[in-house]
Amino acid sequence: MEIIARGRTDIGLVRTNNEDSFYIDDKAGLLVVADGMGGHASGEIASNLAVDVIRDYFKAFKEGRAALIGKFDEEYSEVAKAIGSSVRLANKAIYEAAKSNAGWQGMGTTVAAVAINGNRLSIAHAGDSRVYLVKAGDIEQLTDDHSVVYEQVKRELLTREEAQKSEIKNLLTRALGVASDVEVDVSELTLSAGDILVLCTDGLNSMVSDDDILTLAVSTKDPAAVCDRLVELANKQGGKDNITVIVGYVRNKSWISFLLHFKEWFRR
Amino acid sequence: MAKVLLKFKEAAIREIPLDQDVITIGRKADNDIVIDNQAVSGYHARIKKEGQSLFIEDASSLNGTYINGQKISKGELHNGDVVLIGVHTLDVILEKQIETEAKGFAVRGRSMDETVVIAAEDQKKILASQDKEKPEILGGFIVIEGSTEKRDYLLKERVTTIGKEDGAGIHLKGFFAPKVAALVNRRKEGYFITPAGGKTLKVNGQKVDHKYDLKDGDIVEAGGTKVQFYIKE
Repeated sequence: MEIIARGRTDIGLVRTNNEDSFYIDDKAGLLVVADGMGGHASGEIASNLAVDVIRDYFKAFKEGRAALIGKFDEEYSEVAKAIGSSVRLANKAIYEAAKSNAGWQGMGTTVAAVAINGNRLSIAHAGDSRVYLVKAGDIEQLTDDHSVVYEQVKRELLTREEAQKSEIKNLLTRALGVASDVEVDVSELTLSAGDILVLCTDGLNSMVSDDDILTLAVSTKDPAAVCDRLVELANKQGGKDNITVIVGYVRNKSWISFLLHFKEWFRR
Repeated sequence: MAKVLLKFKEAAIREIPLDQDVITIGRKADNDIVIDNQAVSGYHARIKKEGQSLFIEDASSLNGTYINGQKISKGELHNGDVVLIGVHTLDVILEKQIETEAKGFAVRGRSMDETVVIAAEDQKKILASQDKEKPEILGGFIVIEGSTEKRDYLLKERVTTIGKEDGAGIHLKGFFAPKVAALVNRRKEGYFITPAGGKTLKVNGQKVDHKYDLKDGDIVEAGGTKVQFYIKE
């Protein structure tokens, strides 16, 4: 199984700076989005740092020289443990950086990271950035937002529809950089050819409904075009926050797709 | 005069003088202090004057009433106390106006619009019912009829495919089996199943067109296979 992914980040229409970051390595099967927060543009630093640490850790893991960080349930695969570790490490890096620089105090970031290994998808996340799976004409959110509103949904104090309209959607219960340790959610899933992955920051999903994400994701086979359309739609609906989205198409590794891939690669 | 300041996060909503012997608080419009939020019960709590003291009494609310983070059924109010009701707080101001540093939520960030992280302690205050979190449900299928690899499938993943495709959690065999017959989604609140790929999905003999919430014992027919859903824990 391989993934063809593209991403896009946009400042939106209201904010004066873009504090989101993202990273794509479709060859290694690693996709990351992060949504930073904090004063003096430190949100940007936090989300950048998160993405860089995860990228470097994952590279080291692939080369067999990364030690796991913290404990993991034995039932997780090695890749799942690695992606979970990379997010934990990113937390420490941001936390330490924030302590060392007065202007960076209080900075933090959300993270949603996925790694594809064979037909297995491993997800690690903290905060309210999301991973969606589009499959057989259906869209499902694979991550639980770490937000007060979502906690209320879990406790059945709010329905999902009410949560969408809540005025405290911006209250997070978890993020990287806030404390020396962070609880990272790790999960795994089996992928099939034809599946589409969408990673995004809340600037997308607070403006664009899940159904619209589904419709646009299946509208073409070109992930870059889908990203453009999603960002365009989020801005049309108000663009209140920075918008970042990664769209990835999962397909079988055949020699034909290899050729196509090669052609695309050539075009870049 | 004693009064309370109704706040949502750091934003003060209004000040309410405690000028009656009993003041009711709740979501319904006929309360003295109306808090229009789903986390607040219709009749949530009341503040009572008893002699020289003020008390707050929980009216068997769903999410409870908290004074300074402590869940109470009845408790005396002192100057500077912070009462938590749903996601709103009431700052208690008694007699002399004392400028107290807000004990409200230590929210990080600069404005209401901005994403902020709240401290674990405050999360408990806001959620007010940490103990109410439902344990995650684990369910599965027992195969009654059809050609599958196993007889018993635990549904651990967020999305499980019933079909012939590679990677399908419930992998159907046979030439006529559809690639994807149905999708089973697992959420915190339970499982649901959706027909996929234009294939007919039946639950308990009835055709299902949209999402269907699976219940213990449901018989599911998809792609020439008949399975029974069960809840493990």
